[in-house]
Amino acid sequence: MRLKWKLTVASVKMFVRQKEAILWSILLPLFMVFLFSFVNFDGLGTVTVGVVNLSRDSSLVGILRSVKTLRLHEGTLEAEMKSLREGDRSMILLIPEMYEPGVRDSVATFLNAERAQETQLGTLIVRRALDDLAFRRHGEFLPPTVQTEIVNSRNLTYIDFVLPGILSMSIMQSGVFGVAFSFVNLKKRGILRRLLVTPINPNDFIFAQVLTRLMVLMMQVAIMVGAGLLVFDLHFVGSIANMFIVGLLGGVVFLAIGFTLSGLAKSDDQVAPLANVITLPMMLLSGIFFSRATLPGFANVITGFFPLTYLADGMRSIAIDGASLAEIMPQLVGLAVWGVITVTLAVKSFRWESEA
Amino acid sequence: MNIEMMSDVVLDVQNLSKRYGQLLAVNGISFSVRRQEIYGILGPNGAGKTTTLEMIETLRPIDSGTVILDGIDVRKEPKKVKRLIGVQLQSSAFFDKLTLVELLSLFGEMYGRRVDPLLLLDEVELRDKASSQAAQLSGGQKQRFSIAAALVNDPVVLFLDEPTTGLDPQARRHLWGVIKRIRSEGKTIVLTTHYMEEAEELCDRVAIMDHGKIITQSAPQLLIDDLISDGFKKERVERLANLEDVFLSLTGHSLREE
Repeated sequence: MRLKWKLTVASVKMFVRQKEAILWSILLPLFMVFLFSFVNFDGLGTVTVGVVNLSRDSSLVGILRSVKTLRLHEGTLEAEMKSLREGDRSMILLIPEMYEPGVRDSVATFLNAERAQETQLGTLIVRRALDDLAFRRHGEFLPPTVQTEIVNSRNLTYIDFVLPGILSMSIMQSGVFGVAFSFVNLKKRGILRRLLVTPINPNDFIFAQVLTRLMVLMMQVAIMVGAGLLVFDLHFVGSIANMFIVGLLGGVVFLAIGFTLSGLAKSDDQVAPLANVITLPMMLLSGIFFSRATLPGFANVITGFFPLTYLADGMRSIAIDGASLAEIMPQLVGLAVWGVITVTLAVKSFRWESEA
Repeated sequence: MNIEMMSDVVLDVQNLSKRYGQLLAVNGISFSVRRQEIYGILGPNGAGKTTTLEMIETLRPIDSGTVILDGIDVRKEPKKVKRLIGVQLQSSAFFDKLTLVELLSLFGEMYGRRVDPLLLLDEVELRDKASSQAAQLSGGQKQRFSIAAALVNDPVVLFLDEPTTGLDPQARRHLWGVIKRIRSEGKTIVLTTHYMEEAEELCDRVAIMDHGKIITQSAPQLLIDDLISDGFKKERVERLANLEDVFLSLTGHSLREE
């Protein structure tokens, strides 16, 4: 026990004193999130308006459509309200059944509580359009009525999508690359061999290394979520404990892949290509930077089985939907199955010495 | 062999063999090493020296033959043997990012011992490098450090695999001094080398290996005497000095490591 402890302390020291490891596992992901925090895929300066038109009139919608600042989505009240609540609309314009331009021109708007600027602008434009139509009809000004209601929405941004993804990706990268490179190196330089002439159980050393890396992983999770809350306005509603659990499960899978590669690679120049072949497709297709929903059907199905997909989806559900462990059971089971496969491969392929 | 001589033998190797596919790397060799002697295994590269050491050190499975170290059969109880031996491997690399003191403490822990790293560093004259990392050491310093690491468990037998290969003449001579001092403190040392002057300088007895076999073994001076009594004569008259003497007298005996 004492030896396991001493080996772990030594592993932690080795890791912490390696500046590039800290850089790759913690600072780089943070920097990526920082860069992505500037991205706003909702477009700048436009107001997204859901239009529910129950009347026979089309002139109001026609005028609004000609205004470039507005992006109109026509739909049913139910669908548009849902979109509003999800933060996909800045406001909704409800044109009632009895609406008639300049005669019965009462309309209703539902405004997104957190988008004051957009809704103000949108409301102004709607009023102006109503005025225009009334003026055309009568040649004089009659104040129309606009009934307004504020709706509280959950305005998820791209950060909410991408931060759990980048966190998952950095867990993958430090697991696969970190372990594969350092163990090929330890083997090549005969450092593992030197341990074999001591009376220790060499698995104690592996244990210490795995434990160290899992501790680093917990730090990655804590720092990313912490920075997300403090700096990036992350809408984190889940449990950090659940984040740790799904993170550790994913960590085991990717560490095991790293150990497998260190066993398969004969030299360190073989590590990078092998690791890239495994991690790159996942990085691009596991729904890290964009939703997998945009992939064609078969690709969507296949990528659904990637370990990184399970990890990222699990973390994202916990972070932004506050999912419980039971709710992400499919992801947990997926990771567990991958865990069994990869740990088996790691044990089978692991070598203490590089073949001479 | 009487009882006194038996107890004098600390390492006994009988008919040791190792085969790699078609190649018989070690071909039924036998030798024994007495307590407190420096025993050298000489031979050109590929002679089987390292394979022999690695079988004794429990790093490679023994195909056939027996190795008894301090009364323990290496094949049957490798764990026990590991506790009794100190090993310097040919590639003497250590973990990065740990200081020499941390490394020695860690290696001590692997034997369940709390060692005094500074005393061990004194033994190999590296106290001033106590807080350096192994990667920052020069070649000679690395070799000396790996000897210190091999001494953490106060081993009965110390194995050194080509300890001076790649060192400059000053560093080599300095390491010879360290090795001799360790022997004088009561250790038995088995080393391999392909430098004859090193074997002549250090070893009480040597075995000369080639193609997996021991061709001869004896004290270096006896082997030389045998050769001369067979009528051997060097073609050129022995010079009173050689180029290494010139080099050392010009550059001095002090170490050039920093």
